[in-house]
Amino acid sequence: MTAERFDAIESVRTAFDDHLARADETAAVALVLDLLARGVSAEDVLLDLIAPAQAAVGERWVTNEWSVAQEHAATHVSNRAVSALAAATVAPDHPLGSVVVACPDGEWHTLPAHIVAEVLRLRGFAVRFLGAGVPTAHLISYLHQNGSDLIALSCMLAVRLPRMYRTIEACRLARVPVLVGGAGFGPDGVWARALGADLYARTAVDAAELLVEQWPPPLTGAPALDHLADGEYAQLVSRRGDLLRHLVDHLRRCFPPMRRCADDRYEAAVEDLGFLVDFLAAGVFVDDPRVFTDFLVFLADVLAPRGIPPAGLDLVVRALCEPLSDLPRTLTHLAAGRGRLARAGHTWTDA
Amino acid sequence: MSALLLDLVDQAVVVCDASGLPSWCNVQAERLFPQLRIGEPLHGPLSRAMAEGADCFETVSDGRRLSGRRVVLQGHGTPVGHCVWLVRDDSEVHERQNELMAERARSAFLAEAGKQLAASLHHGRTVRAVVRVAVPALADTAILFLPVRGRCVAWHLYGPDERAGQLPAAALDQAPPVAHALRGLVEQPVLCDWQEVARLGGALPQDPNPPGQALVVTLPGPGMPAGVLVLAHGPQHTGFGAADVELARQFAARASIALAAATFYAEQVHTAAVLQDGLEPDPLPHVAGVHLGAAYRPARETLWLGGDFYQVRADAEGGVRFFFGDVCGKGVEAAVFAGRVRQSLRSLALVESRPVRMLQLLNEALLEGGPTPFTTLVTGSADSARDGALDVVVAGGGHLPPLVLRKDGRVDEVHIGGTLVGAVPDPDFHQTEIRLAAGELLLLYSDGVTEARGGPTEQEMYGERRLMRDLAACLGMPAGAVAERIDLRTGQWLAGGDHDDLAVLAVQAPALAPSADVEQPR
Repeated sequence: MTAERFDAIESVRTAFDDHLARADETAAVALVLDLLARGVSAEDVLLDLIAPAQAAVGERWVTNEWSVAQEHAATHVSNRAVSALAAATVAPDHPLGSVVVACPDGEWHTLPAHIVAEVLRLRGFAVRFLGAGVPTAHLISYLHQNGSDLIALSCMLAVRLPRMYRTIEACRLARVPVLVGGAGFGPDGVWARALGADLYARTAVDAAELLVEQWPPPLTGAPALDHLADGEYAQLVSRRGDLLRHLVDHLRRCFPPMRRCADDRYEAAVEDLGFLVDFLAAGVFVDDPRVFTDFLVFLADVLAPRGIPPAGLDLVVRALCEPLSDLPRTLTHLAAGRGRLARAGHTWTDA
Repeated sequence: MSALLLDLVDQAVVVCDASGLPSWCNVQAERLFPQLRIGEPLHGPLSRAMAEGADCFETVSDGRRLSGRRVVLQGHGTPVGHCVWLVRDDSEVHERQNELMAERARSAFLAEAGKQLAASLHHGRTVRAVVRVAVPALADTAILFLPVRGRCVAWHLYGPDERAGQLPAAALDQAPPVAHALRGLVEQPVLCDWQEVARLGGALPQDPNPPGQALVVTLPGPGMPAGVLVLAHGPQHTGFGAADVELARQFAARASIALAAATFYAEQVHTAAVLQDGLEPDPLPHVAGVHLGAAYRPARETLWLGGDFYQVRADAEGGVRFFFGDVCGKGVEAAVFAGRVRQSLRSLALVESRPVRMLQLLNEALLEGGPTPFTTLVTGSADSARDGALDVVVAGGGHLPPLVLRKDGRVDEVHIGGTLVGAVPDPDFHQTEIRLAAGELLLLYSDGVTEARGGPTEQEMYGERRLMRDLAACLGMPAGAVAERIDLRTGQWLAGGDHDDLAVLAVQAPALAPSADVEQPR
């Protein structure tokens, strides 16, 4: 990046953060368009201004500095800024190929995918961004209608991997190559290969460079999920309701913050517990305990600033061992979870 | 006697003495080795095997595939050092094996081809699949010519490289085999000189090593051919045998089914897209002084159509007029009826601005059109008032009470009441006025939102209580984000489960003060 461009972006960084904090859509859009008018490239605005600002937004939510509503409002404004940039830049006359970018069913974090879509467009591809929570049937019908050369799917949370797999399978059946990206695929995209994706890219720029280099994209992905034959994943999914009831009963007896929480908080807590069971199942799905352990660490970081002792997670994981004692592979994930919590100093001791 | 019996054996039997000279042989041996003479030195494979001291051999001799083994005779009565060669002619077995392997390869190719051809319903992708699958199994180069459209013929070539283009239909006459096939005059595959195809000139690549022979295969279609596939091998290849021609014909049959399906699908898609165009919600207008947001999620239909509908239009006075409804039923039928309601509302808006009167007229219009499903409906307007407030008038029939998010975080229900629209001849419609202070928001939603089933038990309804709680948590968010957030909360509640059509529309008086100053509940 040249010093000039760097200065242009640096000079507005605080103002942009401020617009996000106040959810001021109009000001945020005006700011990015002004940068564009001053000669800063759209890609630099996307990657050096909007993306880092949004990362900070997520951080503020984790530390409880911002409410969910504030986080959501800020994300909405960032999305609008990306759309405004897209509208202000010209699509290529002779595109390198046609790409569909989507967040499949259950994935609601649109911004990273939106940025990838715009970077690919700026790098010469004809791109259609389908947005958040696109049902697989709708996605496949789009592919048949438009004959796209590649589908790019984003997954920000590993808990979505099983549903992501079904989407990837559907694309493979339609013989459309799949590029995936997002934190949900794990460190260096290890779980992307397990799910049978043809290509994985860590960043938007990586994605663009990979596609330019490997165009037409290969159709070589093959899922590696033979371990599912043990049926443990299916068991976890079908027992979800029972497990949740068991956890709630257990926590009501043994975990003081759960006993005294109000109705609304209580429902949110049940939702979080459901999430935890889903992450466990997703880890068993891709056969990697890191899905579960990483989530526990993240959840501990979220709970602590909200006045809930993270050691409660250890209590939860321990409580899962008994009803799941007939699932040996799942037990190793639970054990790994407890080990990880212990290393972080979150061990539960019975009063 | 024993000598006669040995003549019945289907192997050649040659007995050699201690010095290695043949002392006896059976009829099979005379047939396999015509040069064999008793008492004279051996020739050919037997002599080579003897020289090497081998106990067995496999070789090809005079075009025959032979395998032999030597047995040393031991036992009473047998002279020392004598041996017997047993030689089998495997030529036929081998040939049958080869044929079987080739047949298996052809079946495997056709099975794989079928899979690849069926993968896409997109015409362009199917065309590409046809030529790509044909190479290298059928030929080194494959060109697919598509039926004449608009006096042009589109072609797609795959071989050393991939190219596509169009040529004028008239140019086809320079290549009669292709022209005839494309007109449906030839049913069977035709072998011709590559030069005949190459006359199509500039359109096709000028190969520095032109192939010798080309195979022109018609892709049978309904009525007229679905296309013509031209296959060609490089100069180093022997050309097309009968089995190759038959394989190409079978491949062409599969390719034409795939192309026909893709053509049919493209026509259906086009029809659907034309109809859909009028049925999807219009994008929200940008109006100063009014913030708008919407979310629309039809029941899991591939067509993205549903019975929920909304529309917001800017009016001349700087405000907006809107309507929001949910027709009974779902899928395409509901979408088409919703389209009729929307169209009627647009027309009525030109002649009538009083909301209740408009609903009455719509009710009459729908009932006059014969038996139809009915619809819930809220129509309204929002106009700027002093201090950044919005004056909202809503009138409705049978729709769920809209919600208002007040600036203190309270959520109120707006009771409008009224009967369903298009249900009875003497309906009862009401209207209500609401003032939204700066930052306050009106949320319209369809019953798909509150009736979404999911949650921890996967059976519970999301319900109005949760909707009101989640809306309260949206305090300080712009309308667009609120609509997204309700969509997200409903989606999370559903957790991938089936749902009815979902729609929300948010109308908001923009906040004056920075929203970050507002106290935020979780």
